[in-house]
Amino acid sequence: MTDNTRSHRSLYRSLLTGLAFSTAIGLSAAHADAITVYTSYEEDEIAAFLARAKQDMPDLDVNVLRLSTGDLHARILAEASNPQHDVIWGWAVTSLIDPRIGELVEAYTPAGIDRVAEQFRDKDGKWFATTGYMAAFCVNNEVLAAKNLPMPTSWADLLKPEYKGEVVMPNPASSGTGYLMIASIIQMMGEEKGWQYLKDLDANIAQYIKSGSRPCNAASEGEFAIGASFALRAIKNVDEGYPITMVIPAEGAGNELEANALMASSRNKDAAKRFLDWTISDSAVNEYYNWKEIVTVKGGTMPEKFRKAGLPEDIASVMWNMDFAWSAENRGPVLERWQRELER
Amino acid sequence: MTALTADRAAPAVRRSRRNRLAAMLPAVVVGLPLILFVLFPLAHILGRSFSTPDGFGLANYAAMLGNERFLRITWNSFAVTLVSAAVAIVMAYAFAYAVQRSTMPLRNLFRMIAVLPLFAPSLVQAQGLVLLFGRNGLINRSFGLGIDLYGYWGIVIASVLYVFPYAFLILSAALAVADARIYESAEMLGASKWRAFRTVTLPATRYGLAAAIFVCFTLVITDFGNPMVIGGDYTVLASEVYNQVIGQANFEMGTVIGMVLLIPAAIAAMVEKRVSAKQYALISEHSRPLVPQKDRLRDLALLAVAVLISAAILSIVLVVVFASFVHLWPYRMTFSLRHYAFDVQNGIQPLWNSIYVSVMAAGIGVVAVTAAAYVIEKFPSPAARGLYFLSILPAAVPGMVLGLGYILAFNSPSNPVYAIYGTLVIIAIANVYYYHAHGFLISGTSIKQISGRFDEASATLGGSRRQTFAKVTLPLLFPTLVGIAVFFFMRSMVTLSAVIFLITPNTQVAAVSVLYLQDRGATNQAAAFSVCIIATIMAVLLAVRLLLNAMGHRNVSLIR
Repeated sequence: MTDNTRSHRSLYRSLLTGLAFSTAIGLSAAHADAITVYTSYEEDEIAAFLARAKQDMPDLDVNVLRLSTGDLHARILAEASNPQHDVIWGWAVTSLIDPRIGELVEAYTPAGIDRVAEQFRDKDGKWFATTGYMAAFCVNNEVLAAKNLPMPTSWADLLKPEYKGEVVMPNPASSGTGYLMIASIIQMMGEEKGWQYLKDLDANIAQYIKSGSRPCNAASEGEFAIGASFALRAIKNVDEGYPITMVIPAEGAGNELEANALMASSRNKDAAKRFLDWTISDSAVNEYYNWKEIVTVKGGTMPEKFRKAGLPEDIASVMWNMDFAWSAENRGPVLERWQRELER
Repeated sequence: MTALTADRAAPAVRRSRRNRLAAMLPAVVVGLPLILFVLFPLAHILGRSFSTPDGFGLANYAAMLGNERFLRITWNSFAVTLVSAAVAIVMAYAFAYAVQRSTMPLRNLFRMIAVLPLFAPSLVQAQGLVLLFGRNGLINRSFGLGIDLYGYWGIVIASVLYVFPYAFLILSAALAVADARIYESAEMLGASKWRAFRTVTLPATRYGLAAAIFVCFTLVITDFGNPMVIGGDYTVLASEVYNQVIGQANFEMGTVIGMVLLIPAAIAAMVEKRVSAKQYALISEHSRPLVPQKDRLRDLALLAVAVLISAAILSIVLVVVFASFVHLWPYRMTFSLRHYAFDVQNGIQPLWNSIYVSVMAAGIGVVAVTAAAYVIEKFPSPAARGLYFLSILPAAVPGMVLGLGYILAFNSPSNPVYAIYGTLVIIAIANVYYYHAHGFLISGTSIKQISGRFDEASATLGGSRRQTFAKVTLPLLFPTLVGIAVFFFMRSMVTLSAVIFLITPNTQVAAVSVLYLQDRGATNQAAAFSVCIIATIMAVLLAVRLLLNAMGHRNVSLIR
């Protein structure tokens, strides 16, 4: 019986300790010179960027939560009544333009904003984009050889009957990358021709995969010959050793910007602004160049592995000039039509 | 048999009014946390489903349910769910029967293999299936079969593997105890083995079977992971919830489908009474535990079944383990440890967080589900059916919907729960309530088998209900409790869906590290990290095993 009581008491004590411990964790986030940042940058990128930030601002604790673009969108909206973060960093502009998000952020013009060309920032000052990513095909060399298929170079090439059942692309209803692809196609070909193209392409599509990066991974693993995805994933998979070629569609690559913004609810705005200023500093920009295929601020040099994977020095020459406002406004109707006419 | 059936009803007869009031108290104690952590968040979700641009109304439901596409994907969901659940139940029943009622060798090993998918991060299962059965998978490469896994059958196969361990745990609890006397009578009356199985074993596990069917059904219909990875273009309700909530940040439409998915839980709660009314207690004061006798033919047949199922489960996990140790599957098959050089942020700290969360979830989970099952079974009150509904309701809620509900409900400084919001504790609690139904049904399956006569007998001897609970019920339940704690521990180590919405920069858990690695394209590293999680869980289970042995519970298996 005594044993029993003792074990109860110790259980109770360990529960209490547990509670105290976790409360302490919760409280430490509220420290004065600490900010919480929500981002969709990939985890290895964050680590490199933050190492730079720590060097430049040793007294600022930057606590980062990383979630994919869609997960983060849902999370920020759900937390809207009591936001838990100070800054949005490196998050898809198409999501940031969502008016429900617009209500949560506050206009801020960071020091040195002139370095960012006007097309890459909001005219009301609510966001500015420093980086971005663009669409690219991952083409598996071994599958091409085994099936005796030519190397595609453009969206138009993907209509060739010999690729039937060998092309995978993201489902635009579940993936932002998928949406930027069809948005860019409609923007560059026009409403009527764009939809006709998507219908023709549908005949060759093996699967609309419900993720932006998985089509490239599927092609890398040899599951399919061609996976429409984004350039960075192709570069990383080439670097990992997969027998794939990155192909940037000749018509121009659809792209998405990754933008930064200040939360209106931030309780530590000075620190948050300091961080936002830092995101366009030389130091940060140089680090972006090591990781991102699109950097909106001049400076830095492209790393060797990007060049080796086939990324041109002048990125602007292969990028389609996206109309982000159009993309955000038409997302609902475009997806609705896509689901009605093309989703299987 | 008639006497046994009467067992349950007896103590409920002739209750004084004061007793009835006293009986409400446990219901309140058990009900409050369920209301707080299940009903309250879901009420917020429900509210969202009625919110339209023109105010509160049914427009979202009209738009979603009136859509022809919705009917098609509902049909898809049912086509996948019914077939997967049926296959999984048959397999799990045979496997549980083999483990509990035969004398085949290595039964403890088979138990461990059966639950392996519970503590393998979902990445492992998905990756394993593609590596084995994909268009460029091991089987197609070796035999040139040209199997195309993606689509309906891919989802069914993946779903069966996914729900098998849950069904096994419930059915295993149902088959764990039996009264040898009934089987002896059946034999004496000249019943064949098959007839004894049909007329004794099957009816005796009725409640467990119903619970397992419910669990398999809800698990498959709410799962979007398998359809996403292996489903190709086959869209189901759960992936549509994902499309709406994550793909398009459209909570309103997503929650409408979330609400539709609750219907199976409501139906299950309604038929529960009829199913459990026919369930009779298996252990009473006169019973003698059934000790499986040797039967060469039967044991051999069951062993074959167990080996086949185990091989299927193991091959999927092992191929991933193997791939994590080669340079680059399938292109450079040389041994390499390069995927184990983790460079994910915070290193292995998230693994410690996960262990902490999982131990907490195991502790809270056992108490919560056992209390709920015990109170509902032994303290009949008008609230019992409501409690039952709340207890099984979480099974019908997709994890991401529950996670959203937790944010909407608790992210407010005026809410008392806010004190633990953003900590590891809320993650543990979310895990407990996300898996509440599964733990509850395992617990309930066991409790229902313990005769109410014990309460009577102990009352006659002047013992209080508390003494009966401590001296009779608890020891009888102990093996099940260990099993439930292990269940909560294993799931909390790897579960992601609700957790995604509750993690903060300071409360990273191991499953999230796997997701990070996967998201940034380091699939092989993600697999390697998953292998480490599996190894950690096995190490913890081993430690618990040694602890139980040291405490003298050598016969209690960790997995019931």
